[in-house]
Order: sequence, then C-alpha cells, then structure tokens
Amino acid sequence: MEIYLPIAELSMNVFLLLGLGAAAGLLSGMFGVGGGFLATPLLIFVGIPPAVAVASQANQVVSNSISSLQVQWRRGNVDFRMGLVLLAGGMLGSSAGVWLFTYLKRIGQIDFVIAVLYVVMLSAIGLLMLAESLSTYFKRKRNPDGPRGKLHSHYLVHRLPLKLRFYKSKLYISALLPLGLGFIIGVLSAILGVGGGFVLVPAMIYLLGMPTAVVIGTSNFQILFVAANVTFLQAATNGTVDVVLALLLILGGVVGAPIGARIAAKLPGLALRALMSVLILAVAGELLTELLRTPTSLYSLGAREVLP
Amino acid sequence: MKWLGLLASLALLAGATDALAQGPRLEPAPGGLGTPGIGGAPDATVPPSVPTEPTTPDLIVDLSLARVSITSAFQGESILLFGMFDPPGEIVVVVAGPPARETVMRKQRFMGIWLNTGRQAFDDVPAYYAIAASQPLQRLLARGAGGEILSLEDRLASLKPATPRDAAELARFRAGLVEVKRREGLYPAAIGQVTVQAGRLFRVDLPFPSRLPEGVYDIRVYLLREGKIVAAISRPLPVGKVGFSAQLAGWSAHEGALYGLGAILMALLVGYLGGAVMRRL
Repeated sequence: MEIYLPIAELSMNVFLLLGLGAAAGLLSGMFGVGGGFLATPLLIFVGIPPAVAVASQANQVVSNSISSLQVQWRRGNVDFRMGLVLLAGGMLGSSAGVWLFTYLKRIGQIDFVIAVLYVVMLSAIGLLMLAESLSTYFKRKRNPDGPRGKLHSHYLVHRLPLKLRFYKSKLYISALLPLGLGFIIGVLSAILGVGGGFVLVPAMIYLLGMPTAVVIGTSNFQILFVAANVTFLQAATNGTVDVVLALLLILGGVVGAPIGARIAAKLPGLALRALMSVLILAVAGELLTELLRTPTSLYSLGAREVLP
Repeated sequence: MKWLGLLASLALLAGATDALAQGPRLEPAPGGLGTPGIGGAPDATVPPSVPTEPTTPDLIVDLSLARVSITSAFQGESILLFGMFDPPGEIVVVVAGPPARETVMRKQRFMGIWLNTGRQAFDDVPAYYAIAASQPLQRLLARGAGGEILSLEDRLASLKPATPRDAAELARFRAGLVEVKRREGLYPAAIGQVTVQAGRLFRVDLPFPSRLPEGVYDIRVYLLREGKIVAAISRPLPVGKVGFSAQLAGWSAHEGALYGLGAILMALLVGYLGGAVMRRL
C-alpha cells in the first residue's frame, strides 16, 4: 500500500515506513537510544530527500523520548539540574545546527556532510564501545569478584571553572562541561535528525562520570526538548517536516519500543553493549562504502526555483 | 487507481464518438495558411468534451482526466490522450511541464571521496517533457516540419545557462540534467508511439511519475501533412495536490511555525498515548 508524502513529494510504501519506525523503536527499547542514527540514513537510502528525512526524524524523536521519559520520570531517574544545563547548551546548539543545515543545503553539500559526520561519529563510538565491552569481558574472566575501583576517574576537565553540584548524579563538576556537551549534541541533532542519545549516553557515562541509573532518564529529558526545537525551527525556516512521514515512523516506533525493552531485559548488559557496537559499526561501514564507491550517476539536481 | 484507468479507457470510445457527433471545441482550421500556430486559448472553466463551437474540425483532442490530482494515494498517473483527425496526416504530441531554474550538481573524486564539486544552473528548464508521434519522430521532423515542434534535445539545446561557461562543459551538465530527469521519469525517453486506428482515431498514454512537480502543464497536439503543421491544439493540464495533501503542504509552506507546533503536539500525544497503551498490553 502506497501513500503520498505531501512534503517529501513522493509516494512510498506504508509498511516500509512503519517497519523502519519499528526498527528504530526496537533499538530505542533495547539500548535506550533513539534509533535515529539508523532510521535517518535508511530514509535517505530509500529516496526521501535528506532535508525532509532529517526534519521529520526529529519529529519522531520527540514522540520517542516522551514515551520513555514518562517511565524514567516516574522511577525518579531524571537529574533535572543536569538535564537543564545540558538543555541550555542543546537549545543553542540545535538553533545553530538548523542554521548550518540551511546553509549547507544551499551550497549543495548537505548530503556529503551528513554522510561524513555519520561515518566519523558512528565509527568512533562503535569502536569505543566495542573496546570497552571486550576489555570488561576479559577483566571479568580473569577476576570475577575483583575490586570495582573508584566511582569515576578524575581528568583535566574536572579543573574547569563554574563548578556546580549535581546531587542526583553525585557529581561536583564544571557546568561548562555539560553545557558544551549539550551544544554539540544539539548541532548533531539538527544536522543529522537524531536525538543524539548514542553520543550523549556514552559521553555522560565516560566523560561526565554520571551513574548509569540516571543517564537514560536525563538524556531523554534533554533530547525531548532539543528534538522539539529542531522540529519547530526546521518547520518554520525550511518547511521540511513531513508529518505524514513522521506519524508513520512514530506508529511503528510505538510498537517496536516495548518489544525492544523486553529483549533487553533478557540479555546481559555486556552482550547488549557489544551487540550495539557491532550494529553501529555496520551502519558506519555501509555509509563509508557509499562515500568511496564510484556513484552510479555523477549528477544530481538541487532545488527547483520557479522564477517570477 | 487502476479502475480509474479502466474507466477512462471505456470513456474513450464513448467520448470520441460524442465528440464526433457534436463537433467539439476547437480552433478554426488554419487551412495551410501562413502561421498555423497554437489554436484557440482553452477555457479552463469549460470541462473537456463540452462543445463550444460546432464547426468541422481538422483535429479533435481530449484527455481521460482534466487534471492530475495529487492525493494521499497518488502513485503517479497515466493519462490517455485521444482524438480524431482528418486524414491524411501524422500526429505529434508534446507535453511540457512548467519551466523553472534547475541547478545541476556534479560529483568528483576528491581524496578518495565522492563529493559535489561542480554546479551549473539553467533557466527555463521544463519540469517535464515528453514527445510522441504517429511515425518515428526523426523521420517526421527531418522532412522539415520543424517549426515549433522540438525534440527533447532541441528543446534543451536552447536552455539558457544562468552563468556563462564554455560550451563543452555546458553540454556535459545538460546531459547530466537529462540523465537525472530520465531517472525520475520526468523526461520519459519513449512514451510510445501515437497509435492510429481506422486512419483517423489516435491515442497515446502519457505517463506521469509519483515525484511530479506541481504547476500547469502544456499539452500540444499537431497535425502534420507532408511535413507541414496544418492544425494544432493546446490544452493546459493542471497538476496539483488536492485534499489533505494540499492542506498540509499549504500549512507547511505558509504557516511554518504553526505547522511545527502542530507536529510537536502530534508527536507528544501519539508518543504518550502509544507508550501508555503498549505498556498495558
């Protein structure tokens, strides 16, 4: 069954889009990340214009994060102080990102920038996660009941000014750190149409040293508002949000997420992280091949301009 | 939408005989005089098949659909163009979409990575272009029919580049433009011949892909005798979104901020309710 997407201006199979949403939802249920990093490249791959894919995916992220945020909120897993600092950076970053997106689109380099950013980020994160899960696995094998070590290590970043106490996260760190992190996530969110959870979550754990329990809830809090900001700005400045496309992705995601959560409950955390790192590396590999392979056609068209 | 096509085919015979009996809207026969240009300006308010001037026609044309409506179920459309002419003669059909400026971008390998390095804008590029004839077009045009009937190559050869560039490069970008448009089904390479039955009834299917730019398309039908245009009819074909699709596209274009808020609200509502429902299951 085909449906015409009024903003993307093409028709597409309903079940393909529902399935894509479900796959993204499955990932978000399993790993607590939005799944946008998989859905956006796939949307572009099936022929949705990148600008529409990114903006509509941001709209889907809004729905995805409210759904998981209500659970985390009820369990008291949201560090609001940390969330608000991240959000302040995120709002600035996403606004700058939408502006940058519009500029890159005008000079015809947006597809290229999207692809390169994905490749760089996904490979870095995938490799880090893989290395971390492998080293944990071998350490545990050698010393199953060994000492847990310190809560988190102290680096140079802990000497930055503007220190704030984050009680829920049991942290006393500079506000500049989450502010900067939020900003970067905001830019990524605007350009790539992702919530940014797959960068934010590891960064909160490894860079900020937040306890894992509050990480998911707090990142959801920030992602919800940043994604809403991206949706609003893309709609207001570029008119590229396709609500029909977004609704189909959302409906698929609503079904996929609880299934993912059930799978996650059955798998050990280590296996889950290893699985996710392999998945991330696979997407990065595919995108890299796209960049390096000789394209079937050297030519493409920019936006049509009807002159008065 | 298959049944629509079927209906249209059925309507063909009825429509054609109707038209024959009543003498449909048409322009006076030019009778081979000096300028056989495009015939009477079509009146958009008059539905097709309604006769306005009962005269003896050289050429009668009608379409199976008066407009292309892009609805939520739109997957592209095939429109049947049919009509009659006074034999002898040959029929040429030209369909051109609204003109606009198009920017062609070219990829190049740069440090192992393919990226857009060249760009060239052209003015007056038809959004859609299709041409069909009852005989191989080359043969018809070679006889000197020429005039305003242009093959795709000739039509594009006259494109004005928005910025000057050397001829060889322009030709390459022009070829790139055709390549992309072909791929999108907007410059269909072979829409098939115009088939003629009983020496005077003709028909041809016009294919429109799902990724169809909006605007008023221009359909022109020419009757040629001995390589000369003796009659011509121009029909506008409006292409546009209708219903829900049109509403959404309109809001997105004119009320972007409001549309954005609506989209966020929709996402919050569906996400919240969907999450709540799924947890109960």
